[in-house]
Amino acid sequence: MSITQISVFVESRPGHLTRTLEAFAEAGIQVRGFCAGDTGEYGIVRFIVDRPDAAMALLAERGAAARTSEVLCARLDDRPGALARAMVACAQAGINIVYCYSLAATCIALSVKDIASAEAALADADIDLVDQAELARVLAGATL
Amino acid sequence: MGTPMPAPDQIDFSALPIYLPEVECTSRERIRAIQLAKLIEQVGYTYARVPWYRDQMDALGVTPADIRTLDDVRKLPFTDKSALRETFPFGMFAVPMDEIVEMHASSGTTGKPIVVGYTAADMDVWSECIARLAQMAGVTAADRVQMAFGYGMFTGGFGLHYGIQRIGGMMIPAGAGNTERHIQMIEDYGTTTLIATPSYAMHICEVGEKLGFDWASSTLERGLFGGEPCPPRLKAEIEARMHITCTDNYGLTEVMGPGVSGECLAHRDQQHIAEDHFLWEVVDPATGEPVAEGEMGELVLTPLDKRGIPVLRYRTHDLTRVTTEPCACGRTLARMQKVRSRCDDMLIIRGTNVFPSQVEDVIGRIDELTPHYRIVVDNEGGLDRMTVEVEIKPEAFSDSFEEMSAFAREVAGKLRNVLLVTPVVRLVEPGGIERTLGKAKHVDDRRR
Ligand SMILES: [Zn+2]
Repeated sequence: MSITQISVFVESRPGHLTRTLEAFAEAGIQVRGFCAGDTGEYGIVRFIVDRPDAAMALLAERGAAARTSEVLCARLDDRPGALARAMVACAQAGINIVYCYSLAATCIALSVKDIASAEAALADADIDLVDQAELARVLAGATL
Repeated sequence: MGTPMPAPDQIDFSALPIYLPEVECTSRERIRAIQLAKLIEQVGYTYARVPWYRDQMDALGVTPADIRTLDDVRKLPFTDKSALRETFPFGMFAVPMDEIVEMHASSGTTGKPIVVGYTAADMDVWSECIARLAQMAGVTAADRVQMAFGYGMFTGGFGLHYGIQRIGGMMIPAGAGNTERHIQMIEDYGTTTLIATPSYAMHICEVGEKLGFDWASSTLERGLFGGEPCPPRLKAEIEARMHITCTDNYGLTEVMGPGVSGECLAHRDQQHIAEDHFLWEVVDPATGEPVAEGEMGELVLTPLDKRGIPVLRYRTHDLTRVTTEPCACGRTLARMQKVRSRCDDMLIIRGTNVFPSQVEDVIGRIDELTPHYRIVVDNEGGLDRMTVEVEIKPEAFSDSFEEMSAFAREVAGKLRNVLLVTPVVRLVEPGGIERTLGKAKHVDDRRR
């Protein structure tokens, strides 16, 4: 069980992220979560959107360097310690989280090398995992 | 229609036109005889009519009578761009102004432009040279040729226009700019040949693709390029995406304009020089002494029958090498390697000579990159710093900072192996490097 993440290569210059976001807005694509990382020269921006296929088609049309990958999506309980619990579950199973970021509401996206074993570790800890279809329901009304 | 030429070894050259076979395919001996007769006459003409040259030759103690062999050209003074600039506008003209039928000027990036004037005979030579290179690319009277150069003072527009008409081809004088209109005209008028700078042709290609124009089924068969150097990788990309065959020619406003040499389809990296109109030399740029045949050096040109403004031994500052071996296309005129760098393009970075063409070669061999690049040189704390901006192709993006940084280091390493200077490599998103419509601007030297 995983969801689709879109990564876009952008230059670290004013306005470069804006152009992608405006294109999404124009096409009515809802951004459910994102994280932007930067080396000072170029950046990689990662998105969770409601319609990944439409977003990828749009990016390809614009000639952008973009690709999809699968990440896990965990829905956390809305109480103190919920994030720690998810991290501990992965750590105890020896799973290295490459990067992780929160979506709108109490969902986090986790990038790991081995999705299946991370999924098992989180499920064992009773952490709620969400797939693409469910994400739409969970995050209805939470667009960034 | 819309089918690129096959590989050179599969072309039936006997089926392709040659504009002036009695000159273009003659023996080397006869070419040299033509050159010598014209050189003797041209030096006498120049000495008698242009005070600037008379003063220069007098100062060197050389008279027209000293020119008895082709090698004697070395006794003559060199001409640099500055001579034409200092005598602005008409100081080098050899005929009364009423014999001049057309004038052009080169873009003066610094100071005054270079002004050139043509007599009717000069125009005749010029259009003949263009007719030759157009036929090297296969243009005939049946072709519809769309001009995407600007007309105006620049020599490219009118020069090509007259040469195409000389063959009987139909000119479509669209002019520069308005890319969508160009594409519409290709479709409406059944254009077979496009005249453009390679970077503008690429732009037309990309705009057409975005509009959903099907280049494969269009009537367009070829591109005649000029106005800026055409990197092989860019040419190959245009040929593949527009389904056309592209050639380019070489020339300078100071000695005529486009048409000094042109690319045939047998050797795609070389151009046949119109040797009956231009005497070529290749010299060491530092000493001015000739290099051995086939060696790289600065091209020096003496137009042999230029009447409006005679020019002796013009220093082009372009680096090339020349071969006189016969060509598979049937022509015997010497071939110069396409100019990839200029003596004055040379960047000196921490004491090392660096040519942008070297960067271009390295970039061209890396599959993950587009052919577009930009070099920025600045100075940080007294040390030269060279940054090379390169565009990654969309499919080469890896979604990992580690991998992207490792790739940038790998590109820097490949550049260092060739340049002997370690550059900073900056990865830029696809389309992030500006496509210029005129001269491709590859270098930004901020030290000046
Ligand atoms: Zn040839």
